[in-house]
Amino acid sequence: MKRMVDFTVNGEAREMAVDGCRSLLDALRDDVGLTGTKKGCDVGDCGACTVLVDGEPVNACLMLAVEAEGRAVETIEGLQPDVDRLHPLQDAFMRHGASQCGFCTPGILMMAKKLLDDNPRPTDEEIRFGLSGNICRCTGYTKIFDAIKSAAREMEAARP
Amino acid sequence: MNMTTPIEQREFRIVGKSVKRDDVLEKVTGEAQYTGDIKRPGMLYGKIKRASIAHARIKAIDVSKALAYPGVKAVLTHQNVPRVLHYGSPHPRSASCTKDQYILDDKVRFWGEGVAAVAAISEEIADEALDLIEVEYEALPAVFEPEDAVQPGAPLIHDVGPGGNLVLDPVRVNRGDIDKGFSEADFILEGTFAGGRPHPAYMEPNVCIADWDGSNKLTFWTSTQTSFMVRGILAEVLGLPLTKVRVLVDHMGGGFGAKQDVFQHEFLCALLAKETRRPVKMEFTRHETFVAGRSRHPCRIWLKQGFKNDGTLIARDMKLVYDSGAYGSHGPGVTIVGTTAATSLYRCENVRLEGRCVYTNTPVNGAFRGYGVVQSYYALDIQMDEAAERLGMDPAELKLKNVVRAGDIAPSGHPIIGHGLEICLKHGIDVLNWKRLRSRDRTPDPKRPQIRKGWGIGCEMHGSSAYPGIKEQGNATVKINEDGTVTLLTGAAGLGTGAHTALAQIVAEELGVRFEDVGVIHGDTDVVPWDIGAFASHTTYLVGTAAKMAAGKVRAAVLERAAMKLQVSSDEIDLCDGKVFVAAEPDRAMTVSEAMGPSRGIPAANIVANGTYEPTKSYSFAAHFTEVEVDTETGIVEVKRVVPVHDVGRVIHPIAAQGQIEGGIQQGIGHTLTEDYLIDKKTGRSLNAGLVDYKMPLSMDMPDIETIILEAAPDPGGPWGAKGVGEDPIIAIGPSIANAIYDAIGIRFHHYPIIPEDVLKALREKGA
Repeated sequence: MKRMVDFTVNGEAREMAVDGCRSLLDALRDDVGLTGTKKGCDVGDCGACTVLVDGEPVNACLMLAVEAEGRAVETIEGLQPDVDRLHPLQDAFMRHGASQCGFCTPGILMMAKKLLDDNPRPTDEEIRFGLSGNICRCTGYTKIFDAIKSAAREMEAARP
Repeated sequence: MNMTTPIEQREFRIVGKSVKRDDVLEKVTGEAQYTGDIKRPGMLYGKIKRASIAHARIKAIDVSKALAYPGVKAVLTHQNVPRVLHYGSPHPRSASCTKDQYILDDKVRFWGEGVAAVAAISEEIADEALDLIEVEYEALPAVFEPEDAVQPGAPLIHDVGPGGNLVLDPVRVNRGDIDKGFSEADFILEGTFAGGRPHPAYMEPNVCIADWDGSNKLTFWTSTQTSFMVRGILAEVLGLPLTKVRVLVDHMGGGFGAKQDVFQHEFLCALLAKETRRPVKMEFTRHETFVAGRSRHPCRIWLKQGFKNDGTLIARDMKLVYDSGAYGSHGPGVTIVGTTAATSLYRCENVRLEGRCVYTNTPVNGAFRGYGVVQSYYALDIQMDEAAERLGMDPAELKLKNVVRAGDIAPSGHPIIGHGLEICLKHGIDVLNWKRLRSRDRTPDPKRPQIRKGWGIGCEMHGSSAYPGIKEQGNATVKINEDGTVTLLTGAAGLGTGAHTALAQIVAEELGVRFEDVGVIHGDTDVVPWDIGAFASHTTYLVGTAAKMAAGKVRAAVLERAAMKLQVSSDEIDLCDGKVFVAAEPDRAMTVSEAMGPSRGIPAANIVANGTYEPTKSYSFAAHFTEVEVDTETGIVEVKRVVPVHDVGRVIHPIAAQGQIEGGIQQGIGHTLTEDYLIDKKTGRSLNAGLVDYKMPLSMDMPDIETIILEAAPDPGGPWGAKGVGEDPIIAIGPSIANAIYDAIGIRFHHYPIIPEDVLKALREKGA
């Protein structure tokens, strides 16, 4: 049975009818048309579908779309501050080779954004712990750690 | 190419620099389109009914309820699909393939094999319809271990092939005189080794979309490393000319070798779309990537080697048995490559090898990074440490004494170029001050008395290209546009390694334009030149050389045209950073765009060139130096530090090369310590087909990796001496960990994964 749900995605208001059992992930990918958020397992094991809901990281495959009612969802498509400027994390991921196949990248970037929003100067251990729910199978994480540390430094330097 | 051709030396503008990968911008913004992101108008969703038994005849299959279910548009079973015996691993021009599968058969050979397929208007409806399909099985006796499968009277899984559940006739390699070798040995070591069933666990589940147009042409999007092979075998089985099958793949979420089969679901997707005249998408669940995907071949190895008291290796006798699972897939190739690899790594004049590959009623094993060699070198490198122990020698010293060197005959049958492995080993020994590490104080830290630390070394060599098993061919087309920009067309898949960036660097360097002026077109079999597929660590080596050849031809044509316009002879001018100039008078210059564009009655040029390269093979080398901590209370082994020293010849893109090494180490740590796709030995059911129960090293588990890349032994077969890097790291890390565990607790493990239970049990038996 379909139900109406009202929420924002990357700041834009959305009102849509979704099946009660539809996951937020399927709603984002199929109904909203934002396919940047990836489906790696659909059971909450891999972290590829990490999005921020009211600022908190969520596996979008484990949340029902109807639960997003009245809430603000941020996805990878909303990470850029504006169209011709990358978020420092995105730029650092490019420079450091932190993305190979790229399938885990959107989820890891959203988790890393949350990490740096909460903790602008994370230690190595805090970065490792922060990413412990996100599987990357290509990079060995080494360059992801490098990129997050580098972005943290740049964001720190850019702060007034 | 003549292997004695000297490697051209030059100052590089672009090669050797970590330029920004053009595919990564899309990846960090979420715009990169993977197959699963594509939606076609009117698209249906396909699902596969999977067998709940490991070995059976299908007595009856009733799909009437499923067909009647609202929203279901088609159901396929063995009764209504073409019955064509075909390859699973369709490497062209290869002797090492086995034709042993049908799209759907009336026989089930492993638990989870597809027995029917449904297309419906939603995934949920397709899924629900699967439960309405009634299958009546006549159970057959099943075998789950190669040892049981080769017993006389064992149930036969296939009626093709050499019989006795063998996938191919045993692979035998003999060099020198094995009996003489053992008779001259001062001592002999003998042991058995066993490798588990690691799964590649690429992040993007297998997915494809099939769409037929009014002219009966199939357009097929699929996540594959081998799009032209998918095209070829789909066309063959469906009875279509190649003009009627177009295979498309843009971004891929990893493959690691396992996405180079043509899978059952790919045929079924195409047939469901044909039946319904609507596009059909089929996407694996994560569970299906295990059950219906491909894992590494479990392997049992018996290894006996004779040594002289001075450390000389004088005889090697080895028997390997690879478990193919229910179908041949890459079993023949893996058996040939893994077995013949054991002729080398450590020099030995007298060698006798025998490799077998056996069918069992388990999920199919296929190609996976390190292709058969992970298994055989694990055994070789551990026994080398045992020999050092017996001799009272430092393992580094014994390895250094015996490693292959320039001129030795490689597994491929041609002489090795350069002393790559020796240089890697020596470099690591120096950087780490290995002698001091060996003689370090081993008293446990009083704050963590249960922890023991150890260091180990693992060595490997691996070929770029699958020669001589497959006669390979790399192709590239380069064309120059009238504004001076360049387009490279390549069939090489972009599975995440940065291959397209490396190819663009090679083209820009060779042609004389800027990197950012080269665009890469890939992933459309109707447009790009034929490609053998992305595997065997060969894209940079093979396609890179082809791209360099094509770019060289375009450069010559541009120079000729510019010479005409500048009114000088073409050997008087040069081309660099997109500018053409008279070498002796650099002010007499024009841009490539001016050279290409129309002027003075000369029309705009259309310059297109092809490069085709048929190589033999080069070998890359590595020595991994690894520190572990073993917790003697829990049995947990933690890898703390890895110093991987690799020779990859000329490095095209340093960060991408490092990334291959670090990712390979991550997977190799998993294989050695935690990863094993488990099959119940009574029923053949999967026990841990998911990302929580299948344990991989994640962010908390990664050691410090201090990657060192040497350009120690460039190979004239690759662009400016470049060789492969993708597979090497996963081979060397395993034995380095096993050897480090021995250094820590004095216990030898001959298997992987070495799980905490194994460590605790062994510690108890040792009375520690």
